[in-house]
Amino acid sequence: MADELLRVENLQKHFPVTRGIVFQKQVGSIKAVDGVDFTLTSGETLGVVGESGCGKSTMARCVARLLEPTGGKVTFDGQDITHLDRSAMRAVRRDMMMVFQDPYASLNPRKRVGSIVGEPLDVHDVGTANERKRRVQELLEIVGLNPEHYNRFPHEFSGGQRQRIGIARALAINPKLIICDEPVSALDVSVQAQILNLLKDLQADFGLTYIFIAHDLNVVRHISDRVMVMYLGRAVELGSRDDLYVEPKHPYTGALLSAVPIADPEAGRSRRPVVLEGDVPSPLNPPAACHFHPRCPRFADGTCNVETPTLRPVGQGSGHSAACHFPLEHWPMTDDEMRQGRGQAVVGAD
Amino acid sequence: MATLEVKDLSTSFRTDDGIVKAVSGVSFSLDAGQTLGVVGESGSGKSVTFLTVMGLVDPRSAQVGGSVLLDGEQMLGLDKDRMRQIRGARIGMIFQDPMTSLNPVKTIGWQLEEAVLIHQDVTRKEARRQAIEILKEVEIPRAEARVEQYPHQFSGGMRQRVMIAMALINNPEILIADEPTTALDVTTQAQILRLMNRLQEEHKMAIVMITHDLGVVAEVADDVIVMYGGKVVEQANVRDLFSGAEMPYTWGLLGSLPRLNSAGGRLEQIPGQPPSLLRPPSGCPFHPRCEYVMNACRTDLPELRVSQHGEEHFFRCHLDDETRSRVWTAKRAAMLSEDAA
Repeated sequence: MADELLRVENLQKHFPVTRGIVFQKQVGSIKAVDGVDFTLTSGETLGVVGESGCGKSTMARCVARLLEPTGGKVTFDGQDITHLDRSAMRAVRRDMMMVFQDPYASLNPRKRVGSIVGEPLDVHDVGTANERKRRVQELLEIVGLNPEHYNRFPHEFSGGQRQRIGIARALAINPKLIICDEPVSALDVSVQAQILNLLKDLQADFGLTYIFIAHDLNVVRHISDRVMVMYLGRAVELGSRDDLYVEPKHPYTGALLSAVPIADPEAGRSRRPVVLEGDVPSPLNPPAACHFHPRCPRFADGTCNVETPTLRPVGQGSGHSAACHFPLEHWPMTDDEMRQGRGQAVVGAD
Repeated sequence: MATLEVKDLSTSFRTDDGIVKAVSGVSFSLDAGQTLGVVGESGSGKSVTFLTVMGLVDPRSAQVGGSVLLDGEQMLGLDKDRMRQIRGARIGMIFQDPMTSLNPVKTIGWQLEEAVLIHQDVTRKEARRQAIEILKEVEIPRAEARVEQYPHQFSGGMRQRVMIAMALINNPEILIADEPTTALDVTTQAQILRLMNRLQEEHKMAIVMITHDLGVVAEVADDVIVMYGGKVVEQANVRDLFSGAEMPYTWGLLGSLPRLNSAGGRLEQIPGQPPSLLRPPSGCPFHPRCEYVMNACRTDLPELRVSQHGEEHFFRCHLDDETRSRVWTAKRAAMLSEDAA
């Protein structure tokens, strides 16, 4: 299972900011994704977490070429797809599907479920009309819907059922990679559990590879093999699920983990969470060097605001890396301990 | 005497498809300085309950029954003017989406002053002073400059702070917060929860926290109400609820949470969908999704009864004590072992 399915190198997406109506000139750019690297092995799940505006959805859309990346390289299944034209890209998309967040907005309300789920089959011209119909009914059954609902409209289904329709559509032509962009955020807890279990079952049955984007850290931990944490367009930490959640190295990851409410009154109230001050800065004018430095409890003047940290190996686990000059020594850490560590740690080995 | 005492509250709406019983038979009381968590999925009636308490349901389509006592005064059936004096002055409310709750074409200062001018006989200058003061209190930096700004110039977390400021500006006894952090990122959520906690200690107000997030409830609530299909299905002190949940729906909610420490395995799922309020199931509202369903569940709604764990713990379920405690002990052990892993 060690085949590399996807390799993303130095991916960038800069949106131009223009001024003027007739004579437009570019006055700046929003660096939504600013140099992201990762690889994805066949059959694994990469979770991507970060707060709103960190570029996680833009990153996914660039990988699927729904947006044109402004720089970098995306290699899918051994083929460089960064600059493929429309028709060549269409062939690639057979193997790469997407499930979206809002199950209300991502299904055409005027089409019947049968034609929504069957659309990828039509687009890629798979099988005869009869075979398609049979395939759609099979798909509905796989995702736990009644195949007899073939002729119904999306509004006749609840949120969880619509998300199942979206998943059935993504599965239609046996893709290798499914990019799930916040697939359970809009659902109730009990329904969310159903969808997460379904995604896991499908992965086991069909050997799917997932990129799973979410802002809920518990959900990401539950479903992912490896996790990437993003902040203002950059990956700040990447590692296996256990390494990253048990021993986070980047202070931002630590702050995120400690901000998650714990569903246990005893444990939840006894801890002292690290609470970050302020908001995520604007990506139009991000802070210099390490983007996180104005909010970071470990900020060291002269280092963090001068030199941009790169992702480099940390901890014992293989493949665990963080972009920080002063990675956390241990976990859990209180706010004070985090502050004490500033400037004392040796800056990397290089 | 409790600050807010709600007894047997029911709300139903007349719609073209028939009568929707959104809330029925809800009772609870709330004391100063206390936080009540209200948990439930969409359509469980948690928001409608408190819209009714605030007198915000449309009397032309809604039928309201029961009683709502604020410091002993009956609030149901009050006329519009009297209700207006209470709303915003003695009970404040904040909503989930701070963007749609603020007027986009008026400055933040204007909107805060409006709340003051309606309830207090003061000059606009004094109202402005109060607006700036309350913005400082909710930790908005450069409050003097920011009162002149419009909602779009504020981030999501800052807007929610403005909403809290607006709800608190007349120093209410009760703050009703309807999913106040659902639209926010985790780090912002942590900031807002910490702020609400500090304000509660300083003002000794009662807070109602309506949420679907059991994590938030576990961190902030003193007492918890679990709602399902418009009814209270379990009601307890927060520690009792998490350590000794008594009914299958609460078990399902607790079990379906992906826990930070439970990686990989399958989640316990509650099969099916939340019930339709238009055609509610007979008997216990949870019976179509319940794995322990018996004949009695299909025909009779179980009464709210007192738990063996304590006087203040109520629940609805037909299952006998022995079965329930056996099932819960096993489930709880499984959750704890996941947590310990």
